Amino acid sequence: MKPPMVSIKVRDLTLRFPVYGVDAKSLKKHLARVAVGGRLGRAHSGSAEVTAISNLSFELKAGDRLGLIGHNGSGKTTLLRALSGAYEPDEGEIEVSGRIAPLLDLSLGIDPSATGLENIRLRGRIAGLSAREIDEKMDEIGKFTGLGPFLAMPLKTYSAGMQARLAFAVATAVDADVLLMDEWIAVGDADFQKIAHQRLLSLVERAGILVLASHDHDLIRLYCNKVMRMDGGIGSPVVSVKNLDELLAQPSES
Amino acid sequence: MQIAEHMLRTGSRGTRDEFRRAFADLVASLGKLDLAWSLAWHDVVSRYRGSILGPFWITLSMAFMVLGIGFLYAELQHISLQTTMPFVALGIVFWGMISQVIIEGCETFVQASGMLSQTSLPMFTFVWRTVMRNLATLSHHVVIIVAVVVWFGFWRTMNLPMAILGLVLTLLNISWISLAAAIASARFRDIPQIVMSIMQFSMFMTPVFWQPGTRQGLMNLVLTFNPFFHMLDAIRGPLLGAPADLSSYGILALMALAGWATTFSLFAFTRRRIVHYL
Repeated sequence: MKPPMVSIKVRDLTLRFPVYGVDAKSLKKHLARVAVGGRLGRAHSGSAEVTAISNLSFELKAGDRLGLIGHNGSGKTTLLRALSGAYEPDEGEIEVSGRIAPLLDLSLGIDPSATGLENIRLRGRIAGLSAREIDEKMDEIGKFTGLGPFLAMPLKTYSAGMQARLAFAVATAVDADVLLMDEWIAVGDADFQKIAHQRLLSLVERAGILVLASHDHDLIRLYCNKVMRMDGGIGSPVVSVKNLDELLAQPSES
Repeated sequence: MQIAEHMLRTGSRGTRDEFRRAFADLVASLGKLDLAWSLAWHDVVSRYRGSILGPFWITLSMAFMVLGIGFLYAELQHISLQTTMPFVALGIVFWGMISQVIIEGCETFVQASGMLSQTSLPMFTFVWRTVMRNLATLSHHVVIIVAVVVWFGFWRTMNLPMAILGLVLTLLNISWISLAAAIASARFRDIPQIVMSIMQFSMFMTPVFWQPGTRQGLMNLVLTFNPFFHMLDAIRGPLLGAPADLSSYGILALMALAGWATTFSLFAFTRRRIVHYL
């Protein structure tokens, strides 16, 4: 069977968040409210619902590098998490063909008391690599971090920059078709930033699709060929990055 | 393959679809048991990092507890050490596993919130992680089991296959209880305390240390309606060469079926929401 082309299809996506306040998290208060006369069906009354994304539709195909722009709380990160498969749509659907690599949080699955090597293994396993794949990549990852003998030491003895190097090296070691990034990850000293930049570029080249959420418009101009503006959970149409200025000039809808 | 090569996520399409998806999560997690094991083993290693004996520290402290309580209860209940010591030893070892799987179940999803909110890993993977972590710990305590079985000569009379059947049935039961605790604790933050109290109470209501004696009156009630009694009985009985009481196995099998049906339904209905609870 021919593998399906790398693509992302989002149709009428609506995502609502129940926001549970402190009260709603307490079973005792929950029961008290029910006992005092709140109807059982309304037991959720202590929690409000926030619509994070409403009626969003777009399609991306191989070669598309989409930049997501918008204010804080406009739904960019939520959209990335939905694309990673963590958040389930409340309405509509998300279809992704291809191997997804979410680089949303570098510290995911990192254990400070474990050694560098152990962390590479653990993080690699979480990212979906088999034990053998990790063995094959271990040398390359180790070399890339430039940490040498420090890899055998616990992560908590590392400086912040060294930790970031390691996390970055592992997170970017996966062969992905779809790369999801929340802000461009720039870490370490100037030297490392340069090679990190190279590596990210090659990753973007290899990956069929990149979705990058960022506030830095220059960055988006540099890496993306398409942009979408999110505003209060509503997405603008996906346009070419050449039209970024026009998109920014449009008044906010909300 | 690794991370879903093809992923389709949709809004709710009715109850049947929710069950189908919950089942798909379960199947996917079974395909990734090696990942669950990696996580579980990492937990064990990191918990005892830097200590010489590692998980054997627990084994050692358990062994002392067995010795102490064994001698004490032999005196208190006027029963020979030959009877009390193996009974207490196996009781403490297996009770430890049962209660830990359930208590640590409360942390299953809460602890994994980072991974649950940004990857598409199956949720059941984290349930198996909790169970496997405790199986790894239990495997260290095999030392105690072997010691008493050999020292007191039970290897001649024990019925190992029945004991293993009992262990399997017990695991099937505590894993659904663990999942139920995981879902409930994700939603309500006071559940772990409640679970802790229940398990403490159950330890005293279950013949972990004390010999049940004759089953009549109140005692019969306490034993018959205590699921943990049946679990311990199904594992410990055959190891101590007692004639197998099939009713315990039947009750455990029925409880596993009913429990999984209920908990799986709960999971199917809450699956979408769990990540938002965290």
